[in-house]
Amino acid sequence: MLHNPMYGCCMVVFPILAMIFFTSLMDEGLPEDMPVGVVDLDNTTTSRSLIRRLDGFQSSKVVAHYTSVAEARRAIQENQIYAFLYIPKGTTDDLLASRQPMISYYYNLASIMSGSLLMKDLKTISTLGSAGVGQATMRAKGYTQEQIMAFLQPIRIDLHQVGNPYTNYNSYLSTVFVPGIMMLFIFMISAYSLGMELKFNTGKEWLAMADNRIVVAIIGKFLTQALIWLALIFFYEFYVFSILGFPHQGSVAMLILLAVLEVFAAQGFGIFAFGLMPSLRMSLSVCSLWAVLSMSMAGSAFPVMGMDGALQSLSWLFPLRHYYMVYQICVFNGFPLLEAWFHFVAMVGFTLLPWFVVSKIKNAMLTYVYIP
Amino acid sequence: MSIFHRIISGIQDAAYIWRQEMKQAFKDEGVLIFFIIVPLIYPLLYSWIYNNEVVHEVPVVVVDDCHSGLSRELVRKLDASADVKVLCHAADMDEARSLVSRQLAKGIYYIPSDFAIRLNRMEQATLSVYCDMSLMLAYKAIYQTAVNVTQYMGAEMQKKLSGKYTVREEQIAARPLDFQDVPIFNPQGGYGTFVIPAVLMLIFQQTLVLGIGLAAGTVREKSHYGDLVPMHPAYGGIYRIVFGKSLCYIMIYAVMGAYLTLVVPRIFSFVAMVKGMDLLCLMIPYLLACVFFGMTVSCLVRYRENVMLLMVFISLPLLFMVGISWPQSAIPGVWQGVSWLFPSTFGARAYVRMNTMGATLGDVTTEVRALWIQAAFYFGVTCLVYGHQLREARRHAAEALAAVTNAD
Repeated sequence: MLHNPMYGCCMVVFPILAMIFFTSLMDEGLPEDMPVGVVDLDNTTTSRSLIRRLDGFQSSKVVAHYTSVAEARRAIQENQIYAFLYIPKGTTDDLLASRQPMISYYYNLASIMSGSLLMKDLKTISTLGSAGVGQATMRAKGYTQEQIMAFLQPIRIDLHQVGNPYTNYNSYLSTVFVPGIMMLFIFMISAYSLGMELKFNTGKEWLAMADNRIVVAIIGKFLTQALIWLALIFFYEFYVFSILGFPHQGSVAMLILLAVLEVFAAQGFGIFAFGLMPSLRMSLSVCSLWAVLSMSMAGSAFPVMGMDGALQSLSWLFPLRHYYMVYQICVFNGFPLLEAWFHFVAMVGFTLLPWFVVSKIKNAMLTYVYIP
Repeated sequence: MSIFHRIISGIQDAAYIWRQEMKQAFKDEGVLIFFIIVPLIYPLLYSWIYNNEVVHEVPVVVVDDCHSGLSRELVRKLDASADVKVLCHAADMDEARSLVSRQLAKGIYYIPSDFAIRLNRMEQATLSVYCDMSLMLAYKAIYQTAVNVTQYMGAEMQKKLSGKYTVREEQIAARPLDFQDVPIFNPQGGYGTFVIPAVLMLIFQQTLVLGIGLAAGTVREKSHYGDLVPMHPAYGGIYRIVFGKSLCYIMIYAVMGAYLTLVVPRIFSFVAMVKGMDLLCLMIPYLLACVFFGMTVSCLVRYRENVMLLMVFISLPLLFMVGISWPQSAIPGVWQGVSWLFPSTFGARAYVRMNTMGATLGDVTTEVRALWIQAAFYFGVTCLVYGHQLREARRHAAEALAAVTNAD
């Protein structure tokens, strides 16, 4: 195993690279200072103060002024800005004369995340702009601050973002995609290491070492790998939860259990895939295609409940889906394991899958000849 | 030999290599899977996954401690919204929490007992929103519905209190400065419309690179010395090898590319605003860049399966580096630099902007130029590595010949 550099790459280097990639890519947690433009045809102190306020928001940064909406739209298409605020001529006049002027905010929803963040900023400043006028009038009439607030916003929302109070995208995406990539490697290396025995015709020796008992041979082979995977995943968990401080409600025992489940379920799937098609190329293809699909089927970005019914059932076939559910229920939200029993059982089921194919693997090792 | 003859023989050799490569691509099931089956099936699967575009009717549970006409009105309005469905009323927060923990509901609306009293006293009342943050789309639905409904009810209350005479006056008092938000290019905020174009371009690159890598791996494994270049008189020059091989891949992927960029978005009625000529001007450099990138990568692998281990896992990071899931302006400089190595970064950016955002070729000149530079760069690198492979093969051939003559 040590002689083939692929093992070192896929079991240590690449997973760590993926880990660093995702956590450093989304280091900001929420994208900050996204470029937005302004079409200010009014050009008064009121409109400028609105623009200044928009610039002051965490997500938005006003980078350019345009003379027309068409020009600003072109700038979006050229990827210079993600959204723009349009203040028509006469806005301030109409505002002062109580003619209810309208300002518009155009944002590019072809990129959902930046679009919806920028939309939130706009809504806030537009509401503030409206409220500012009302506030000034009411203050002049001698109302107290409490009265003004109660009039302007009769129902206040008290928001509790349970488990992720900062809306941190890093802790929300990295905690699924990094384990997803680890599972991808576990799938592939499991199938690869069996396939390479076949390819270099060392299967017989490998079985002989275990006195031709295939179960012993498989356990021996994969327990060593499992230890490396576990070490890697513990390192990952330590890194994200202790060093980067991602919020989580789970216990250490739960994290360890989850890591063990993740490794064994993925190995189980990898061995099963090889057992079904005892050919290196086919089993690797299946493993890689399955693993890439599981990133979507885990349902962390687009939820499974929004997919078609058939896909909701199919999602059970993906170990990552169950991993994500157990993680989400027991670690992220800190509910008891009982609530995730189905997904727990499913992951144990994946671990036991190779049971169905051990005899086939043995047969393959003893009789098959590798055909490139 | 005159230059004319050399050109003719070069073209003949390239054509021979092209034919060999074609034959191999259709004989080898590994290559066939990645060249034909995956590009055909995968886009359909992904489109199916994201075809519902948006999440409606996210289940929530309501704890109404107020039991008043106003609180019931609030709950009715929340339930009537498109994005949220009130699953049930819970007696207290503990019960509501247990419903969330069983995954039956994604959030809790809590209406405190003094809700109506405070509103009637003209004080500020509170609606508490508890969101399960594990799904951002569900959180957005729950929170935005609460914002919209409370703003609407608040405005109604303001109108009653303001003591104006006409409806128009009331409207102006409640909202002196009107605003309009206009989501453009993907007005319903659909997830599929947003992610599928980039995924299509990535599938294009990844399957092409995997297929080329597998084909190259097979050639090496068949050769006694692990050479990429077989011993055959036609394989006598770098350019004929590179042209012959790339011609085969270009032919297959011209078809696949048309399917991915023209047919798939139409099957699922995703936004498709790109014009034919513009698309062609983008896809030609993208195809060339991908082919030569794939041929460069294929020289790195010793065994045919290794290319899968190398290329598959970077698919997801590549998707993120395109800059649609995570805005391009927020990608750290280091990763921006790394992303320039891959054709998919520019290809997908340009395609998303032309396909979904209706940009013209002029708007994506930066990306198209980058793709041409990549195509030229990877062509150069491919020629270099194949030159090296050719020398290796010649050396091995000479050694074998020497061994045979010595044995005689």
